[in-house]
Order: sequence, then C-alpha cells, then structure tokens
Amino acid sequence: MPSATVNKPRPSELLSRLTSAEPEVKVRALREVKNQIIGNRTKKLSFLKLGAVPAVAGILADSIDDVTENNNCNNTNNFLVQSAAALGSFACGFDAGVQAVLDAGAFPNLLRLLANPNEKVVDAVARALRMIYQSKLAPKYDFLQQKNMEFLISLLNSEKETVSGLGASIITRSCETNLEQKALFDAGILRKLNSLLEGGSLSQRDASLESLATVFRNNPEVISKFAGPEIGRPLSSIIDLAKDRYPRTRLLACMCLIVIRNASPHFLQDIGIKTKLIHILLELLDDPGQVGDEAPFAFSSLIAQKEDLQKLALEANAIDKFHHHIKKGSLHPRRYEGILLALADMCSKLESCRSKFLSLQVLNLVADALTDYNAGVRAAACICLKSVTRSIKNLSAGYFMNETIVIPLVQLFLDPSTSVQVAALGATSNIVVDFTTRKSIFVQCGGMKQLVQLAKSMESSVRSNALWALKNFVFQADNRLKEGVFSELTASLLSSLIRDPEPSVQEQALALVRNLVDGCINLIEFVFAEDGLILGAIGRQLQCASKAEIGIQGMYALCNVASGNEFHREAVMQLLFTQMGDKNQSFVVKFLQSNDSQLRTATVWTIVNLTCPSSPGAPCRLEKLRNAGIVSQIKNMVNDPCVDVKLRVRTVLGQSMAFGDN
Amino acid sequence: MASSKKLISREEWEKRLNNVKIRKEDMNKLVMNFLVTEGNVEAAKKFRMESGTHPDIDLATITDRMAVKKAAQCGNVKDAIEKINDLNPEILDTNPQLFFQLQQQRLIELIRNGKVEEALEFAQEELAPRAEENQSFLEELERTISLVAFEDTSNCPVGELLDISQRLKTASEVNAAVLTSQSNEKDPKLPSLLKMLIWAQNKLDKKAAYPCINDLSNARLEDPTF
Repeated sequence: MPSATVNKPRPSELLSRLTSAEPEVKVRALREVKNQIIGNRTKKLSFLKLGAVPAVAGILADSIDDVTENNNCNNTNNFLVQSAAALGSFACGFDAGVQAVLDAGAFPNLLRLLANPNEKVVDAVARALRMIYQSKLAPKYDFLQQKNMEFLISLLNSEKETVSGLGASIITRSCETNLEQKALFDAGILRKLNSLLEGGSLSQRDASLESLATVFRNNPEVISKFAGPEIGRPLSSIIDLAKDRYPRTRLLACMCLIVIRNASPHFLQDIGIKTKLIHILLELLDDPGQVGDEAPFAFSSLIAQKEDLQKLALEANAIDKFHHHIKKGSLHPRRYEGILLALADMCSKLESCRSKFLSLQVLNLVADALTDYNAGVRAAACICLKSVTRSIKNLSAGYFMNETIVIPLVQLFLDPSTSVQVAALGATSNIVVDFTTRKSIFVQCGGMKQLVQLAKSMESSVRSNALWALKNFVFQADNRLKEGVFSELTASLLSSLIRDPEPSVQEQALALVRNLVDGCINLIEFVFAEDGLILGAIGRQLQCASKAEIGIQGMYALCNVASGNEFHREAVMQLLFTQMGDKNQSFVVKFLQSNDSQLRTATVWTIVNLTCPSSPGAPCRLEKLRNAGIVSQIKNMVNDPCVDVKLRVRTVLGQSMAFGDN
Repeated sequence: MASSKKLISREEWEKRLNNVKIRKEDMNKLVMNFLVTEGNVEAAKKFRMESGTHPDIDLATITDRMAVKKAAQCGNVKDAIEKINDLNPEILDTNPQLFFQLQQQRLIELIRNGKVEEALEFAQEELAPRAEENQSFLEELERTISLVAFEDTSNCPVGELLDISQRLKTASEVNAAVLTSQSNEKDPKLPSLLKMLIWAQNKLDKKAAYPCINDLSNARLEDPTF
C-alpha cells in the first residue's frame, strides 16, 4: 500500500537524538537529518542554525576513533557513511554549510578517511570533500609541496571515480599561479588528465576538462608544452569533445578551448575553429538547464574585445538568437544576465552589431530588464545599454534620450547594489552626450539632481562615475543647463571633489570643470565663486597631481579659464606661480617635461592663451614666464615628437616674437 | 514509364544477407545491455549464466537502482528518496528539477489518499520554498494544489497528475538520473539499432525495390513491390 506520510520529528528533537547513547536511535536520526537536507536549501539553513554541523562532525570524529580501536565494523562504517554524506550535503552548493563544516574541524578527518578500506566510506568521504572543493571557501591546496603533489597524483590514479574526481576538483579550485601550473605540468598531471579525457567515464571527462582549463589559463608555456611534439593530437581530443553527445561536456570542452585560444596566439586561430565554437555555444543556449545558463558566459569569454569574432558571430545570427531567447521570457536570472552581457560584448565595438541590435527592437526588452528583481540582471542590462549607446549615429539622432530608458535608468541611481549604481552611471554617461536639444528630459526626470547626490556617495567608484556622467552631460550643453548643474553642485562641493582622496574622482571633477567653463565667458565666473574656491582647489591639486590624467584635465580647465578676459588670465598666472613649501619650480615646467604628450599639449595650450597678442597684459605675463624659465623650456620643445605639441609650441614662440623676444 | 528504381529479388536479397557476418557475442551484448538498462536483474543474471556474456555494469548496482524505481512506481516516494540518497546523495542535491518532481509526486500521493490537511502542510513546508526560487516550479505547484479544489478529479483539468502514468514518468526520470550518475548510458542500444534500420530502409526506398522489414516485432521480410 502506498505510503507517503509526512510525520517526522521536529528538527530540534532530531538534533537531540544525534547525541543519544543508543546507536540505533543515533544512526536513524543521522540518516533522517541527511534525508531532510538533501536538495533542500531551506532545511540546510535551519539545521545549520540549530548547530547540526558540529554535532554531525562529532559523530564522524568519534567513529574514526572506533575504527582505530576496531570496534563493531559494520555499525561504525554506517556511521561514517551517513555522517560523511550529511556533511557533504551541507557543503553542497551552500557556502554557509562549507564554512560550518570547516569550522567544525571535519576537514582533516575527511582527508584521513580517504584511506579507509571500506568502499562506501571512501565514496561518501570523497564526495563530501569534492563538495567542499567546489566552494571558494575551500582551504588552499599547496601544490608546491612534494608531499601534497604525491597525494594528488595518488588521488588521480585511483580506480574509483569519486576519488579521481576529487583530485580533479582540487586542481580546478586551487591552481592559481603560473608557478603552480608549471609544477602540475612537471609532475605529469596533465598527461594523467589527458588519459582520463580519452579513456575515462563521463564524469571523469568533464572533471578533466575543467582541470585542464584551470592549468592552461593565461599560461602559453604550459599550453605549448602540452600540445607539444605530437602537435594537434591532445588538442584534437578536446576539440572532439566539443561535439560530444552530452551538452555539459560540449560546454566544458568549448570553455577549455577558449582558455587555450585566449592565452596563446599560436593555437586554434583558424576561422574553422572560431566558427565552430560560435555555433556550438549558440546551440547550447537551447539547453533548458544549467548548461544553457552558462553558455552565454562562455560565449562572452570567446568574443570579448575581439572584433573578428564579433563579426563572425554577427554573421552566425548571434544577436537574433539572443533576442529570441530573451523574448521567450521567464528566464533563469543567471541565463538572463549572461545573455545581456553577451549582447553587451557583441555591441561593444562594432557599429554593425549595434545596428542589428536596434533594428530587432531588442532595446525595449533590455529596458524592461532594468527593473528586474535580480541585481545581476539589472547591472547587466545597464552594461548592455552602455555598449549600445556608443553608437554615435544614434546618439546624434537623439534615439536614447527618451522616457522608456531614462526614467528606469535614473531610478537605478538609488539601487541598493553599488555595482548596479555604477553600471547605470556608465550607461548614463553615454546617453547624456546627446547632441540634440533633448538633454532637458534628463533634468525633468530628476536625473541631474540624482547625479549630484551620487557625487556625494561614500563609494569612490560611485562618486567618480557620477562625475563622469555629469561631465558628459554638460559637454557642449547650453548655458542654462550648465548653470542649473552648477547651482545644484555648488562651488564648495565641487572644490572638495577636486580635492577628493581618490585620484579617479579628482580627475573627473577637474574634467567636469573643464566642460562647465568651456564656451561662454560668463561660465568662467563659476571658478571664482565663493572667493575662488574652485580655482584655488585646482591650483592646489595641480601642485600634487598623482597622475598625468589629473594634470591634463586641470590644465585644460585653466586653459579654458584663460580664454576669457584679462582678469581671468591674471588669476591663472597667479595660480601658476604660487609656490608650495620649498619647491622652487612651478609645476608648469614639470608638466612640460612630462612623458605624457597630452599633458604637454594641454600645458602649452594654456601658455598660448596667456600670451595671446591681442590682450594688453600679454607682454607682462610673457616676461614673467620668461623669468621662470618656461619660455626657454618651450623653445626646447620645437621638435617635440607629438604634432599637437609642436604646432602649439610654434604658436607660443610666434606670439613671443611679436613682443620682441631676444 | 519504366521505374528508375533497381529491383532486388528475395532470393538475391537473402543471398546478400547471408554474406554479412554478425557475431553471436555482439548480439549477446545487445541483449544484455537491454536487460541491464531496463533493470531486469534476474533475467540478466540468468542470461549471464547461460550465455557467458558479461554485463557492462555491476549487477549489484542494478538491484539498488531497481529498488528505487520500484518504490517510485508504487508511490512510496519517501522510500524512493531515501534509497537514492543511500545510493548517491549527490543526485538529488544537484538536480533541483528531479527533486522537485519527486516532492510533487509525494504531494500527489497525499492528495490521492485524501490527506488534504497534511498535503497542504507538506506543500507549504517543503514545496513552497523551492517554488519561490523558480517560476516553473511555482506553476507546477499551483497546478498540483488545484487538485484539492476538485471533488471529481476524473474530470478536472489537471486530473492527469493523479494518473498512474505520472508515477511511471517520475519513476523513469529517477531511473535515468541514477544511470547517468553511475556514468552509464541511460538508453539501451537496441532501440537505436532499430531506428537506424528504419532510416536506412527509408533511404533505400528511394533507390530500390527490395524485401523490407515492416513489422519490427517479427522482422519478417516482405516481398518487394513496385
């Protein structure tokens, strides 16, 4: 008679039975705990909170002692198997569980038990250890110690799949540096993995593919040694597996091949293999499970930053396929995120891809994703937007500055996740470079005010990205807009941002000033507001600029100020000559001598504006510059390797001769 | 108009067939593979004794797997779950779809036995948390729960869930999962062979008239016709 009854003791009751003196009660309770937690994350968490893990780890430890004392074998083995299985389940895909198992001190016991004579015990223990090694929290395995390498080799050589699988997962988790990769190669591990690839079972092949990819990552030397004298053969077994009947094997094989491609310019570069990889990955999207979820990430790793592959993928209708999958809806968040990031990579460089994207109306679907409940999806949607909005053609047409996109995007400025905020700011930075007169839409939906708020964030990446967006927003914007931004920002905020502890923030703040004061002479007054707060901040920051970019933006800001009237020019002069401490050399000379051509250009431009012949104060300023050795420095730059610098140097020298230079 | 197809007489065909040598060992292996994959342990053991054919997998593992399948077929889902976990705890821990399906079957059995209150409690405690994480699980859960609302389950839109076929479907999924976890092929070879035969005949049909096999169960050759 079918029985499907659900009466079971409460968790706390079960736990107390784990410490029972009667072995029968104890082992039954142990098995019940194990059966309740397997597959059930909620139960794992609640048992964890009740302290189940230390209790189970204790049973494991006690049973080991029993083994040593040769007590009742069958019973002991049963305890060992059940407790190991329970610990393994706590650790399966559940970081809190892994941590608890490690904290309970079970790890060394599990390792010892690998040598146990009973097969079922070894299986349970090997599985539990493999679950731990699938987590980032696993203890680091030191491959460079001889003893450890020998132990690893013994694991891989084992007849038992569970044990050799453990060996492979240790490699996949712990092998990180080139040194470790080389050590593994020297110990003959790769040959062993390759034999598992060719003669092993399904799970051994899959585990092997993952380990090989880990050892190959960013290591062209190991790759060429592996592909070695029998050129093509080891690689061809991996290539064959890319066409295997099991989807997971195909995915892992592709990922391994991509690692090889990306690390080494000599292998897998022909168009045949590139096309094959693209097609296999696109076809794997159809898998309804985890394989289909991970396929777009593998696709991204294949095409990212590579125009030739993006072109091939475009021809293979990748964008259509991704569109088709998103349209279906109710996607697993991981898959959704992966597809959006893959689209972002596709559209990152090629206008042809962006056109295809826009023509298929994918933009609306991506706009929907901006309000998804999953943070990863929201961030990915923003990153995708950032790529697509690089299309100057469409920016110029004002295609993106509309409410469907701008409103949800601005809402993300307040997102609880920092990475979403930063991604939204990235997309915004492109969108606000709108060349039409529609920038006001952004102000209307509160975007500009939000950006200013974010410029005060505690996260430096949020501050610098918000400033970036503001910088782009005011780029060639009309006066009214600029005044609006400035009054919202205030001089004191902007000057403190110029003096921000983070260099990236300083740079963006200076660039923002540069864009604000560019164009109309009235706008230059911004830097003089509140007793010249901003101008002063620029001067102080240029004195101690930690990188060239800060100097570049600061000098261009001064350059723009110096394009105003006499008062402005005199103020800049004063700034250039303010000494600080015992430095007797103006930063101007330092900048002129910089290796960075953009910095030299910006500085010479500023001198050009200061010595403009039509201004009455020019001769006086020129004298000062001459006395400070700046003019002779400029004379030395007549043959500067950078054309921009050379031309501006000639302008300065031409202007100085107009005042009778000797 | 004369046919462009080549005609092959039965005599000629049978002569050609006789020239193709098939080894007995290969056929035995196919039979063994079929018995083993389907889980017919006793038959497999007898066949091993009588023909000397060695199975590809350990017959002891078949017994374990069959116990799981049988429990699922009988609706003893809790028992089936415990047995799978004894065999390999990873299977259900790494296969949320299968685990949900089994829990769903448990729910169906509770409803079938009229234990409505217990069923609702079970659904809330065990299934609802899974459904929170997954849209399709949620839909399945709602479908299953709706069984409770119907007095006459033979006529309700989700009545098929109560059908024995649902149990068999679950049992077969479980069988496949265990086979895969043991790194064994979950499908026997014999059906693939027969499919290949049908495909080859379809191809050949376009080029020739020959004695073909239309009834797979008796594999009788039928005379060629135009």
